[in-house]
Amino acid sequence: MSNSSIYKDVLMDHYRNPRNRGDLSEADIVRRGSNPRCGDDIDVGVNFDAETLAKVMFRGRGCSVCLASASMMTETVSGKSKTDAHQLVAAMRNWFTAEGATADDRPADNLAALDAVRGHSARKRCVMLAWEALDEALEIE
Amino acid sequence: MKIKPFDVFDSAPVLADVPLLAAAGESLHYLDNAATTQKPNAVIDAISDCYRQHNAPVHRGLYDLAENASQLYETARRTLAKFIGAASDQLIFTRSATESINMVAQGWLRPRLNKGDQIWLTRMEHHANYLPWQALCRDNGARLRIIELNQDGTLDLENCTGLYDASTKLIALTQVSNVLGVINPLKEICAKAAGQGIAVMIDAAQSVGHMPVDVTELDCDFLVFSAHKMFGPNGIGALYGKAERLNQMEPLLLGGGMVDHVSQCDSIWMPYPTKFEAGSQNLADALGFAAAVNWIRQHDMHAMHAHVTELTQYALDSLAKLNNVEIYGPRDAEQRAGIVSFNLTDVHPHDVGQIAGERGVAIRAGHHCCQPLMQQLGIAATARASFAPYNNRNDVDALIESLHAAQALMG
Repeated sequence: MSNSSIYKDVLMDHYRNPRNRGDLSEADIVRRGSNPRCGDDIDVGVNFDAETLAKVMFRGRGCSVCLASASMMTETVSGKSKTDAHQLVAAMRNWFTAEGATADDRPADNLAALDAVRGHSARKRCVMLAWEALDEALEIE
Repeated sequence: MKIKPFDVFDSAPVLADVPLLAAAGESLHYLDNAATTQKPNAVIDAISDCYRQHNAPVHRGLYDLAENASQLYETARRTLAKFIGAASDQLIFTRSATESINMVAQGWLRPRLNKGDQIWLTRMEHHANYLPWQALCRDNGARLRIIELNQDGTLDLENCTGLYDASTKLIALTQVSNVLGVINPLKEICAKAAGQGIAVMIDAAQSVGHMPVDVTELDCDFLVFSAHKMFGPNGIGALYGKAERLNQMEPLLLGGGMVDHVSQCDSIWMPYPTKFEAGSQNLADALGFAAAVNWIRQHDMHAMHAHVTELTQYALDSLAKLNNVEIYGPRDAEQRAGIVSFNLTDVHPHDVGQIAGERGVAIRAGHHCCQPLMQQLGIAATARASFAPYNNRNDVDALIESLHAAQALMG
């Protein structure tokens, strides 16, 4: 793959071996993110320990970018407080939409592989789907 | 139309005449022609020449430059009308095929559609030829009926009971599916509908300029198409209507140029086509539109169509040799326009499109504005390659290579 390819090794690893993908029946709360335009459909489930995200899981179908981003999201926010997780989602949104944002604006280092996707406006919603579902699960106004 | 025993069409001069593609060379295999076509020099020059040499208000000025602009505009209308076998004044310039359809829905059908009436569409319609009718049925208490598809994507005309009933006020259907590529048997439908006094509106956005289309031969009531899908500019389309229908139809846009007499409380419209072209006319794009027609004629549409058909068959055969591929629509290119939708098993079409794109192959991935069809097929999206006369077998080979790459990466 060329340098400009969005299919970085880390992204493909998350797509092929998704972390925290599975059964959500034990989750405290489940929220759905769907994009009828391309058929991406993700559920995000969270178990809380007081104000902390003890366990974050996902299930569903989607393109490689959508599934890899969901997998990375679960790794990034597990163990974080609700407030920190909410801020991480805001930082993700900002990273993907703000004019002049750079690779250095990534909210966490394990998301670096998503930098190559930022130039592709058509894939923005694929990346953000699981993050937006998580934000809904946090129920922070 | 029969495919020639071998493809004698030379696409090289056509390609050389399209500056964007000529400049890109082998770095771009443009196979997204059903979304929009690339533009030949003749079209680009016509638009540029208009602003350099001819720009003036149309149908408004008394000086030479304005008279000339008016004449050029009407010559463009004649060129377009003649191209589809219509009388000149029955060709209305619009902004797009979408606008043309909305004009028919709101200006013609709305006042004559009653509760209990039916509008018939097909399962393969583009949202542009679906949503205006869906909204109209909801507002007027009419029934939206659907002609379903056979397994191969052709229309199932055997099982659409009530299609030609007296309660059917309109049949609106596409000539060519923008997903399945299938060409619909319009003459048969128009003839049966005419026998019952039912109006037929044809969405010809994927057919005009790519295959012979003649409104007199079809005997349809309305036909719509757009310039940018037939090598012309963006932002201009056309509406053809039978004289009787255009007389019945009310204009949606009211304003300058379309009115004969305005008094304080009442006004009298100009006759068609003028009553449907309120505001200042889009001269440059009308000239670009006509230049596209002349360019198509110059290159011989029949020869170009035969070339695209041959290329489509080559693509269908090449795709069928892949493992784990599903091809939608008829396998015989003679039943199709140059449009092929497909999916690779376990590879999301967006990934197929992206990986192809990274290798210089421009294809479309998505629902193609045909969600009712996607629901029927039980899928969310497809990848789609669509061909034009400037394409050749190298483009198909590059597509197939990119699909191998997608399978290798995602497998």
